[in-house]
Order: sequence, then C-alpha cells, then structure tokens
Amino acid sequence: MLPIVSLTLFLPLAGAALILALPGPTARTVHSIGIGTASLTLVGALAMWLEGVSGAGFSQVEELEWIPAIGAAYRVGVDGISLPLVLLSAMLFLGAFIYASSLRERPRAYVALVLLLETAAIGTFAALDGILFYVFFEVSLVSMYFMIAGWGHEDRQRAALMFFIYTLLGSLPLLLAILGLYLGSPDPSFDMRAWIANPPLEGAAAMWALVAMLVTFAVKIPAVPLHTWLPAAHVQAPTVGSVILAGIMLKFGTYGLVRFALQMTPEAFHEAGVVVLVFGVIGALYGAFAALAQTDLKRLVAYTSINHMGYVIIGVAVAALALDPSVRATALDGAVLQMFSHGLVTGALFFLVGMIQERAHTREMGEFGGLLKTVPLLGWSFMLAAFASLGLPGLAHFPGEFQIFLGTLGSVPAAVVSILGLAIIAGTFLKAIRETFLGEPQSRWHSMPDLSLREVLALAPLLVLTVATGVAPSWVLDTIHRTTSALVL
Amino acid sequence: MGRDLALLIPEIAVLLAAVSALIAEILRRPRASLALAMLGLFVATGLTIRLVGTDTTVFGGSFRIDALSIWAKLILLPATMLSLLLASAEVRGTVREGTVYSLLCLATVGALILAGAGDMMFLVLGLLLTSLATFALVAYPDDDPATEAAMKYFVFGSVAGAVMIFGLTYWFGAAGSTMIADLEGTEAIPLAVIFGLVAVIVGLGYKASLVPFHFWVPDAYEGGPLSVAAFLSVVPKVGALFALTQVFRDLPSESGGPAVIAGLAVLSMTYGYLAALVQDNVVRLLAYSSIAQSGYFLLGIVALGESSFALPSIIFFAAAYAAMNLGAFAVIAAVGRTLNDFNGLGRAQPLVGVAMVLFLLSLVGIPPLAGFVGKFLLFAAAIHAQFTWLAVVAILNSVLALAVYMRIIVPMYRQEEVPHDAASIWIDIVTLTALLATVTIGLAAQFFFVKSMA
Repeated sequence: MLPIVSLTLFLPLAGAALILALPGPTARTVHSIGIGTASLTLVGALAMWLEGVSGAGFSQVEELEWIPAIGAAYRVGVDGISLPLVLLSAMLFLGAFIYASSLRERPRAYVALVLLLETAAIGTFAALDGILFYVFFEVSLVSMYFMIAGWGHEDRQRAALMFFIYTLLGSLPLLLAILGLYLGSPDPSFDMRAWIANPPLEGAAAMWALVAMLVTFAVKIPAVPLHTWLPAAHVQAPTVGSVILAGIMLKFGTYGLVRFALQMTPEAFHEAGVVVLVFGVIGALYGAFAALAQTDLKRLVAYTSINHMGYVIIGVAVAALALDPSVRATALDGAVLQMFSHGLVTGALFFLVGMIQERAHTREMGEFGGLLKTVPLLGWSFMLAAFASLGLPGLAHFPGEFQIFLGTLGSVPAAVVSILGLAIIAGTFLKAIRETFLGEPQSRWHSMPDLSLREVLALAPLLVLTVATGVAPSWVLDTIHRTTSALVL
Repeated sequence: MGRDLALLIPEIAVLLAAVSALIAEILRRPRASLALAMLGLFVATGLTIRLVGTDTTVFGGSFRIDALSIWAKLILLPATMLSLLLASAEVRGTVREGTVYSLLCLATVGALILAGAGDMMFLVLGLLLTSLATFALVAYPDDDPATEAAMKYFVFGSVAGAVMIFGLTYWFGAAGSTMIADLEGTEAIPLAVIFGLVAVIVGLGYKASLVPFHFWVPDAYEGGPLSVAAFLSVVPKVGALFALTQVFRDLPSESGGPAVIAGLAVLSMTYGYLAALVQDNVVRLLAYSSIAQSGYFLLGIVALGESSFALPSIIFFAAAYAAMNLGAFAVIAAVGRTLNDFNGLGRAQPLVGVAMVLFLLSLVGIPPLAGFVGKFLLFAAAIHAQFTWLAVVAILNSVLALAVYMRIIVPMYRQEEVPHDAASIWIDIVTLTALLATVTIGLAAQFFFVKSMA
C-alpha cells in the first residue's frame, strides 16, 4: 500500500530539490518541472479523494516515530474537514504554476519557493501532530515572505516585513497553546487525535489556551481588528502570491479554528462562542463595507475575503454554541464548504485582477470602462467569478452561505444581521463590474489582448468547479458531512 | 586512579593536542600544528562516543562524567574543529599562527572542565583556563582595536573571576565542603553559601555573557579575530552554561535560585535583542544576539529538577546553537563585517545567501530548523516548571529576534551587489557542515533524549 498522503505531501518538496540541484536550468525546464510536480501532486490529492474518509476520526493515517521520549511523531492523515482543503490546495497550486509559466525573472528561485509553499500548505491541512502542524504553519510564512519580498510590487519590502513580523507574532501564541495541550494531557503526546478525542485542558487553562489559539487564527484568517496586514500584503504581493495567500493560507486560520479551537477546547469555545460570533459578524460587515469603499480592484477583492471569512467564523461559532447536533453539523458543513468555495472563487478573482494589471499596469477601476467589448473572455470570466463571490444561487458560495445562515437561524437568530453583508458585497461587485467592464470602451485599452491559452488553462478549472460546486454541492458536501455529522464535541 | 584517568581520556587527548600543536609551532611548522590540533580533537571526539550513556564521577566526585559533560564534548569538540578551520583561513601566514591553534585547544579543555565540574575548585580552574587562553587569542592581531578589546576583556574577566573566588571562600567556609553535590542535603542554606552562589553566578555569568555581565562581549568579538569571536560565542559560553547547570541541578528548589536565573534570562534576552537592533556591524550584532541566546539557555536551567525536559532541552539547544552560530560566523568570514557587505549577497552567491538565511531563521527559532526544536523544548521545560510567564517573555523576544536578523536578510535580497573575493575553501566547508547540522539535527532529536536520560 502506497503512503499516498506522504507522497502527495512531499512531492512538491522533491520537485523544489530537483530544481535547485540542476545546474543552470533554463526557465522553460524550471517551469515544466513546476507544472509537472504540481500535476503529480494533484493526482495524489485526487487519489486521496477517491480513497475517501470514513465517518468519525481520521482516515489514511501514516505515522513515523520522531521523538518517542516526548510523544512527538510524524503523523499525517485526513478527515472530511481537511480533505477538501488538500484537494483545493493541489488544484490552486497547479493553476498558479500554469499562470506563472511566463515569468522570466529568477524563475528557479520562484518555482522552488512556490513548491515549498505547496508542501507547507498540504502539510498544514494533513498534519496530525501538534509540532508538525506548527512546523508547516510557519514554513508557509517564510516562503510567502520571500515571495512578496522578491517578486512583489513597488513597496514590497515594507509589506513583506510587516506580513512576516505580524503573522509570526500572531502564530507564537499557538506554540504556547500547543505546549499547554501537551503538558495537560494525561499521557504526554503531541498526537492531535488524542487531543481531539479527549480534550486535555479544562477550566481556566482551557480558556487561556483557547484565547491563545484565537489570537493566532484571528491574525491568519484575518478577523477584524487583526486584519490590517492583509490589504498591504495583497496589494504588494505578486499575483500568484495573492492567489495562494487568499485561496489557501487564509484557510489555515479557519481550519485551525475548527481543528484546534473547536475540537480541542470545545467547552471553552462553547462558553466563549458568543464573543467569537460577534467578531465574525463584525468581520463580515466590516469587510463588506470596506470593500465597497475601494477603488483598487485588488484591495476590493482582499476586503471581500475578510467578509467571506467572517461568515466562516460565524459558522464555526454557531457550531460551538449549538446544542442540537444536526444544527451544529449544518453550520459546520457550511463553514467548511465556504472555505472550499472561497478558495476557488477568490483564487479566480485574484488571477483575473492580476491579468488585468499585467495588461494595463493599473488596478484603479476608474481608469477602465467597457473592457467587456475589448476582452470579452476576461470580462465574462470576471463576471462569473464576481457573481459567485456575491453569493448568487447556482454558484459556489451560495450553498455554503445558505447553510451557515440556516444554522445561525437555528441557534442564534440575531446573528443573521450579517446577511446584510451579502447585499453590500453584491453592490460592491456590481459597481466594480459597471466601472470596469461596462459602458463605453476607452480608446487607450483598444489594443488590450484577450486571455491567452496559458491564462485560460489556469482559470478554467476554477471556474468550472465554481459552477459545479454551486449546482451540485453534494460532491464535496458528502465528504464534509460524513465527518461533521459524526463529530462529538 | 587508573579508572579515573581512563574516563578522562578525551580531555587528556585535547590537552595533548594543545601541547603538541605548541611544540609544532616552536619547530616552526604551523601546518603541522593545525593538523595535530585537528587530529587530537578528532580522536577525542571518537573516544567520547564510547562513553555515551555513562553516569559516574571521578576523583572522589569532584569531576562528573554524566550526560552534560559527555554531550559537552560531543558538541564542543566538533565546534572547536570548525573554529580551527575558520582560524586557519584567517591567520594563515601570520607570525606565531600555531599558537592560535594551541590556545584554542587549551580554551576548549577549560570549557570541558567547566561542563563537568562537580567541585567548586573545578569551576575556578575551568574559568581561569578558558579566560587566560582567550585573553591572548583576542589580542592576537596585535593592532590597536585588538589590544584595546583584549585589555577590556582582561580587566573584566579578572574582576569577575576574582569576585567568584572571593565568594567561593564564603561558601566553603559555611558549607565546609567544596563539593557542589553537598548542597543537595542542606535544609536551610546559610547566608554565606548564598553569597557564594551569587559570586558563582557572577563568574559564570561573565563567561556565558549574561546581562549584566556582558560588557566585554561586543568589544572582544569586534576587536579580536573573527574566528576567535566565533569560538568565544560558542565554546566557552556553552561550557559556562553547562557549569551553571551543574551547580543548579544540586540546588534545593526552594532556594529562590530559579527566580534569580529567570530574572537574568529576561534581562539577557530583552537587552541582547534590543541592543542588537541598532548595530550596523554584523559582528557586534551577532555579539548582542549571542547574549540574548544565552538567556534562552536559562529557561532550561530554571526548570532543572522540576521538569524532565530541562536537561535534554539545554543539551539540544547547545548543539543547535553551536551549529547555527558557527555557521553565521563562517558566512561573515566569507562576506564581511558590516551590513553593507551583505547587500545583494543573495543574488551574487545564492547558496551562501540561502545558508545565511537558514542560520538566521534558525537563530530566530523558525521551524523546522534546529533552533526551533531547541527553543521549543526549552519553552516546554519552562512551562512544565510553572514558569509560563518566562516562556511568554521568551516568545515575545522571538519576534524581536526576527526584527534583528531580518536586518541582515533584507539587504541580501534588495540592494545592488557588492563584489566579493572568493572565500577560502575551508570557510565553505565550515559553512556547509554547520548548514547540514542546522537542517538535520532536529530530526535526530530523539537521540539526545535517550542518551541523556539514561
């Protein structure tokens, strides 16, 4: 039996090592290795998907001793919450490599870094050991720093440093929480399965651990008011950096919120659930209003991420507060599905904004107009992604948001006020579409080329899945639901 | 007696290496001097391996052959070998170059004696041996900055050493024994012994460069040869910290000692990084960073006796620290001493650039590098011993550390490159060895546990 999870996890790393080991490879070779490795990784992720998950607990677990004296080991595996995210990562990274294959500025270092980032991303979702999780969580940070600092836009150094220090400061409380969980467990071990099956902390200690975890994940998600690094990092990051940052790395926060906060300190989370819920509502509304105020397309999409992540926080908080298991499963289903679809939709949106910027060297909506006539393919793709992002039924975000609101109505009806965010986001995107794509085409953009084959290849899978998830969400939802319905908190 | 000497063979081998290196120098054979020193250290390392797992004492309990002293040899002897290679690239062709190799070996003997001290007289002996040898090493270039640095170091070292000896007389007078282990049985510690302990903290704190006994460090590192700075930042420091561990593991826990150590840890970490933040000279920056790193060791020392992590975490962090710090110094030896020298390094020499980034990130404590595993264990030890607040302070300092080391990393990938001469092959070998250790040592963490707990 092949260790599929480990193979999928370390394939990108092996690809990065291969690229660094080759003496003076051409840009073409480097990009082919990148795309080839990412394709193989996607094959691995699909194999994991076909293998599927059983009901309760984790499936496809692989273990290797590391420090038995303290109960630390290499442990990986997936359940219905992490498996969709692994699949999402593999797909999004493949798109990223295809999109970036035109890059000629130090391609070797670039592709190697993105491959390292892919291992870190899949590792974060698949890790079942506290230390291992933290290792991947932090490695992603370092590679993202070098991506922004090395290939970002004009003010990249400052933005990269801010991102690095902000998120490192943010992730250190998690280290404390992990140590607390470890020292609190009766049979000292870093096995996350044991922590979930038998939450080691209680009372004040659990509350402190929860607070530490919430700080870490709030920075990562990012939840208002710890979100200030996000617009800065997005604006300066290269397109692929933004896609990965928004599409995958934000999910580290929400995934951690479920995996650590909800599953390892359930009682404390139940007590503090209302506070988390309030932060979720504020994030959803604030993100929506802030997005409405933007004129820069990339910042606009960045702020809509804060809004969408706000709904995920609401979903998780409702799951913690709900006493009825079916309501809890509904809310959690919605939250996980929302993570998945946000990756698809926002990934596509950042690709599209990057494509516009590459052609026009500006992202100011006011400078465009009538682009739909000049670049119809790009324009319609943007419309599709934008409509998905504003939650149109039949597209990816709708089923997730619907379930989150359903769960909210079933337990804390007051929080449904956050549904206002949907209307504002709709207004935001309609405004963006009107200013950028509708109206009379401006003469200065007449020569703008439409999507190339490379760009279509990077985008098309995301858009197809956006529709597929919207029309028939059950292909993802079944996997998610198998775990959430068996969850014991 | 025969058994005692058999257990001390590694130390004796290093001593012989020092003497034979000196003899070769007298015969004006500097290359032979280097070769003999390397050979002696190599043999001593090999002879130590068979001792792993022993836990005994020699000379009536006054010198300990335990996990600490054995690991001190396994860590410090290779570290000295790397320092010798750095030194050979730096002092090659100067007059009396062989004395450098001999003195490095002698200082290492002193550090090993410190690490195994079971008796206060060994503390004194080890401290004096390392101090005297390194005073001369700092002064070796024989120019104004080196002489000034050596003078400051000498005055500071002599005073600290004298304070320690003075305090130890009180301890001896009150306790009636020079054995550290005799502390364990005492119910209430007499005031005079406490005075002696404070003096020990002063003496060892000076050698381990803890705040507030650190004033000599930046000057000595900057004034002396770079290879000596690299050596000083690792070998005598780890020896002194292990000696402090030897003293504190026998201290009754209600003595209040851990609280004092915790205070020193906070001062060292915070002051070290804050001062490093404003340096433009990379050697001074690393000098202050090494002060801060000493503070991290103390997290393990406060947890002695309370947590089973304490000893393994100190030992592991020592190994990680030796690898990453020597590596960083080796890169400085190849590149240059000011921040400007690092401009564009990442583009001009990508591999050296990556190595430096990994050393510095390891010093911050970013996983999965060696420094992370070490700090993680130290934090676990401190929290286990109910010093959670100390672990929080240490974690906050890690953010400060990132800001410090990013000051080197950022210009490496931003500025236009500065032309560099090709570095000596030996420096590259040191960099590569240290890099391998920094990247892989974390995977072998289990090894440190099994052997040290036996």
